[in-house]
Amino acid sequence: MKFMLIHLLDESRIPHAQEWDPTEAGLTAWVEEMGVRGHLLDGDRLRPSTDATVVRNREGRTEVLDGPFAETKEQIAGYDAIEAADLDEALAVAAAHPTVLNGGAIEVRPFGPDMPTPRVPEPTAGKRRYLHMVVSDTAQYERFFAEFVATRDEDAADEGENEIDAWLTKYAGARIYGWELAPPSSASTVRLQDGSPTVLDGPYAETKEHIVGYDLLECDDLDEAIAIAADHPAGTVELRPVWS
Amino acid sequence: MRHPRPDPVGPVFTEDWGRLVAGLIGWCGDFELAEEAAADAFAAAAQRWPAEGRPDAPFAWLTTVARNRVRDRLRRRATERAKLPLLVEDDTTEAPEPPEDVPDDRLRLIFTCCHPALAMPARVALTLRTLGGLTSAEIARAFLVTETTMDKRLVRARAKIRNAGIPYRVPPAPLLPERLQGVLAVLYLMFNEGYAATTDPAVVRPDVTAEAIRLTRLVRALLPGATEPAALLALMLLTDARRAARIRDGAIVLLNDQDRSRWDRRAIAEGAALLRELAAVPDSGPPSAYEVQARIALEHDRAARPEDTDWAVIARLYRLLPRTAVTELNRAVAVSMVDGPQAGLDLIAPLASELGGYHLYAATEADFLIRLGRIDQARAALERAAGLTRNPSERRLLEARGRAL
Repeated sequence: MKFMLIHLLDESRIPHAQEWDPTEAGLTAWVEEMGVRGHLLDGDRLRPSTDATVVRNREGRTEVLDGPFAETKEQIAGYDAIEAADLDEALAVAAAHPTVLNGGAIEVRPFGPDMPTPRVPEPTAGKRRYLHMVVSDTAQYERFFAEFVATRDEDAADEGENEIDAWLTKYAGARIYGWELAPPSSASTVRLQDGSPTVLDGPYAETKEHIVGYDLLECDDLDEAIAIAADHPAGTVELRPVWS
Repeated sequence: MRHPRPDPVGPVFTEDWGRLVAGLIGWCGDFELAEEAAADAFAAAAQRWPAEGRPDAPFAWLTTVARNRVRDRLRRRATERAKLPLLVEDDTTEAPEPPEDVPDDRLRLIFTCCHPALAMPARVALTLRTLGGLTSAEIARAFLVTETTMDKRLVRARAKIRNAGIPYRVPPAPLLPERLQGVLAVLYLMFNEGYAATTDPAVVRPDVTAEAIRLTRLVRALLPGATEPAALLALMLLTDARRAARIRDGAIVLLNDQDRSRWDRRAIAEGAALLRELAAVPDSGPPSAYEVQARIALEHDRAARPEDTDWAVIARLYRLLPRTAVTELNRAVAVSMVDGPQAGLDLIAPLASELGGYHLYAATEADFLIRLGRIDQARAALERAAGLTRNPSERRLLEARGRAL
């Protein structure tokens, strides 16, 4: 099974980029270990929420807004796509991550069914990568996902899927990979309690909207990423520059 | 950081700051570095020009000094980090080629500063800083925030441009109309903030207003094919023309009571000429909201006395604006001047639920009631209006009108 790890940190506690040493922070060791064990498929740090842009499509008009989609105390600071035998293994991979050990949280979300293993090439010189996070009303997505899983074997390509297919084809050049996530009701969150990593049921925040999928994009600049997000059939997208 | 602006540097500063910063950003790709180097160059000019005389090509002189400062700073940074960025490896000791003024650089800069992925207050502040050359202390004072807050806002905005990959360019044709709307919205907000501060006891902050007009003029000159910058410029000129008469003894003077001999005739003539040009553009479609508002302002400006105002024309113009509760309120005022106060009162009655918390709604209602002789109700409406405004000068005016009844 494939899972997305969503790293959450209180940004006021994140050290400056220059002071931040991945080796010292324990990240290098985690990446090596999980790579060797075959868990790690992709992952990166993200620029802080002050560098985020939200693109909302409302009634045929595109709104571009500064900032993240939710003003929560903890903000998304990075992501990993991992392979694990089951949820317990995924939770153990998350619990060993420095995000948790340093007082942050990791939300663990299964990807939707049939996700191919992502292939992420080396970055192209002069290009920028963005995590294109699709955001949706939580209750709506729960219903959509249940229906989608129930009917996916039937050969009923409904309108929504055709729109997505058209989007995928149109932006195949900029899109490295991406997939939908299982809804927030299937999320678990790992964080320290009384000094040890503890698994909690549910997403990291009880917000009305949640991330329901993402795409990793490689673009010339923010305007290209905004144009791609504005064309996405879902209503809202948060664009976050990838750190590296 | 302060910019000394005595002559002979002062006039050059107003003209060349934005050009200098825009050109430097295009050259070194770093907003902060460009602003610092431009400030250094003007400081050097302030020190040397009074004694040595202003150089024949002041802009070239400033660019040379500023580019050297950029190199110095990059070299220092490189030593600090023991890394050599590209610009420093190219270690030229000779003066750089005299720069040519590329107007597109300023256009690129304004589109970047007004990018929709930046928060609105950051767009306004960054535009005033990079194109207007106002210091962060001056901008902080104009927007009633602390200098630390303004510094943070500017630092954050520059960081986002860099880190999120906001391009330094004039948007390509398909994006241009929408992005131009964004730029004009920033300039109009800047103008309005300067013209009618909601909480500032000094009421009018001319620096910001003048800067908004100057920048709108610039956008119009740089995008001669677009009609909306001309419409916005006309609106600003025709509104700002009344500035000198708008304040007396620290209080706002209503349009009816203003000394019209103090209105700026040159600004009115320029605004009127712009509107004539716009009317002559073939196939331009329905007038933009800026143009309609400018035409309304002109109707007021050209009335020698309040009673000469052609309210029927104004009432018709209001119909051309997108219908909102506030434009309906304004239209009601115009209609009441043609068809009487009861007609005005009837028009605003349905707006009560939406505009109940808006002081100008209560003030307008009071005005209609006074004209109908319903004084007790008028007094109550004025009290409501005074309680709703955040501007002390407006509050005093409303209270005085209530007492005078």
